[in-house]
Amino acid sequence: MTFRSVALLLALVPAFALAGPRVVTTTEGLAALTREVSAGRASVESLSRGSQDPHYVDANPMLAVKLRNADLLVDVGLDLEIGWLPPLVNQSRNAAIQPGGAHRLTAASAVQVLDVPTGPVDRSRGDLHPAGNPHFLTDPRRALQVATAIAGKLGELDPGGAAAYQGALGAFRTKLEADLARWQAALAPAKGRKIFSQHRTLTYFLDWSGIVSAGEIEPRPGVPAPPAYLAELVQRAQREGVKAIVVENYYDTKSAEVVARHAGAKVVRVPGDVGGEPGVKTYEQWIQELVERVAGALR
Amino acid sequence: MRSLIVASVLAVSAVPTAGSAQSSGAAPQPSTSPAQQDPKQLEAEIAKELGASPSASPAPQQAAPPAGGAAPATGGSPYARLLLLPDVSAIGSASLAYDGYDVEKRSPRGGPYSPAEKPAFAFEELELGLQAVVDPYVRADVFLSFTEAGAGVEEAYVTTLALPAGLQVRAGRIYSPFGRLNLQHPHAWEFVDAPLARERLLGEESLGGPGVEVAWLAPLPWFSELRLAGQNTTLVEDAPSELTGVARLLNYVPLGETATLGVGLSAARRGEGTAGAFRDLGGADAYLRIRPTSGRAYLAVQGEVYARKFRGAAADANGGGTDTGWWTQAFWRQSTWWGYGVRYERAPSAGEAPAGTEQRASGLVTWFPSEFQRLRLQVGWDRLPGGGGGLEALLHVEFGIGAHGAHPF
Repeated sequence: MTFRSVALLLALVPAFALAGPRVVTTTEGLAALTREVSAGRASVESLSRGSQDPHYVDANPMLAVKLRNADLLVDVGLDLEIGWLPPLVNQSRNAAIQPGGAHRLTAASAVQVLDVPTGPVDRSRGDLHPAGNPHFLTDPRRALQVATAIAGKLGELDPGGAAAYQGALGAFRTKLEADLARWQAALAPAKGRKIFSQHRTLTYFLDWSGIVSAGEIEPRPGVPAPPAYLAELVQRAQREGVKAIVVENYYDTKSAEVVARHAGAKVVRVPGDVGGEPGVKTYEQWIQELVERVAGALR
Repeated sequence: MRSLIVASVLAVSAVPTAGSAQSSGAAPQPSTSPAQQDPKQLEAEIAKELGASPSASPAPQQAAPPAGGAAPATGGSPYARLLLLPDVSAIGSASLAYDGYDVEKRSPRGGPYSPAEKPAFAFEELELGLQAVVDPYVRADVFLSFTEAGAGVEEAYVTTLALPAGLQVRAGRIYSPFGRLNLQHPHAWEFVDAPLARERLLGEESLGGPGVEVAWLAPLPWFSELRLAGQNTTLVEDAPSELTGVARLLNYVPLGETATLGVGLSAARRGEGTAGAFRDLGGADAYLRIRPTSGRAYLAVQGEVYARKFRGAAADANGGGTDTGWWTQAFWRQSTWWGYGVRYERAPSAGEAPAGTEQRASGLVTWFPSEFQRLRLQVGWDRLPGGGGGLEALLHVEFGIGAHGAHPF
């Protein structure tokens, strides 16, 4: 093969590709939002599965292959993917999806971030997120802001489809606004009630729903609970009337079940993300499950 | 600084290839007005006018998005200096060793060991990592090693971020792309010490040194990477360095949703002081990782085979036969907190042991109190050729502080 024919071959590679932008997201939640606004023009793929703990995905080189041809990488940010995304982005040879690159969208930049630690931060406080809580998609209002940012970015990268993306975003907003009213009605009786969660994954859900956190089953992020701490939680649950312990299905429920048994509370297993359970395929289905199960347990 | 210059020379020399690829793909259409032009074509035309390739320049950077919280509007950010600091990390390790025989004489190695039947504490290593992007074109990773013997540069290299055609260049002081284990720092290993075969057949600490590596990610649906490196390697401390050429082909394929198989082939030729004297190295490695999508548990099975042959004058001095060795291990991370491993290895004997094959079998228990610390107990039995050898036990603690870049798979 001559040099010229190799060059020709390389030049032809993009011609075989899909017409619309290829979007790769780090989580299935982001992929679901991207699908809502993609108007069928973009192909969307998530690097992790909804049943996976997004903190601990393997930096599998197969994922770098997916990133190599990505026209847009959408990540959560706030160091959620710090343990696995940076080496994949480096391996991908895709300069435009580097942090701050033109083909990179970090969803956290579209929302107001909660749980930003104040005062000194060190790991005696556990494996916390020093930039703030990255689990913001549990709040549908923030999800809409992220969807808006994705639609805008897609329009920038694919100007021919800008109107289509905005149209799809409008339709998604209308759907979600109807959902929001319905979900708020379902959550209204639970407002002000207290729950425990496993990890601080529900801060934004609580911020939206008005349900209150009485604490986490893990004493500090990523640190297992010693019996003394669980005993304290049992007492707190009884004192403050905690009736539900919400645990994403990628976490072990052993500690939560002990507390639930002694405190007379219920362990509520929820899908950790879109795709976390077989029937949960869209963003709306995911929030629907969260709302139903949490409101149901607090009824 | 020399490595930086090498990197930029390579970046520039890659330009014509990409440029001709772009121009041969799209025929110029001078009749269309600039507003209707295809952006790729316009890019190619502008590139031609500037005499540079469009893909040689980095992708335009976005303005930093406004922070979630309100940034101080007056006086600028008081954290400007901190923001520009590289990621700084330190990884320290210490061990308590017990060996039932005279390891230093009968099975010399770099890893931690004690005098015969006398437990010994040792401070293993403090690895200081400094990692950051240099500019839009390259990032730098520096790892300094502090041991009781002194300090040294373990690795220090730049990695290109924006080369076209699936290419990536590393330049500086690098570990040779030979086998799987050789590219990893000790704190990335599952077992406390390196397999004997790697030390006996590749290099005392690891095969590496100043040089340059070009890695090409083939445009295939799976991960297929070819790495070629030229560097000066030093196998034993204070010995003269020799020019070494290294090649490695690594393929990763998925086996269903939960398993990934990696297979690598490596080859190297190293000069041996005089003209026509060489050391040829060959290696094959496999890595199978099975991890169900939910939970933290995984099983990793891996192994490597090495072969070494001296040629020319080096064969006269060292013998002309082929020396081989291999190791295989399985590690099961049972939960967030616990992991267990077993390893078996065969390597040419060394030191005062009779010539032949040394065998070792080891078991490992790892406790991870958190993501940033692990405690390991490794117990092994070493069998020297013709009998002898004995028990080896290691208790090892390791901690990491600061922001240490995540490791490749």
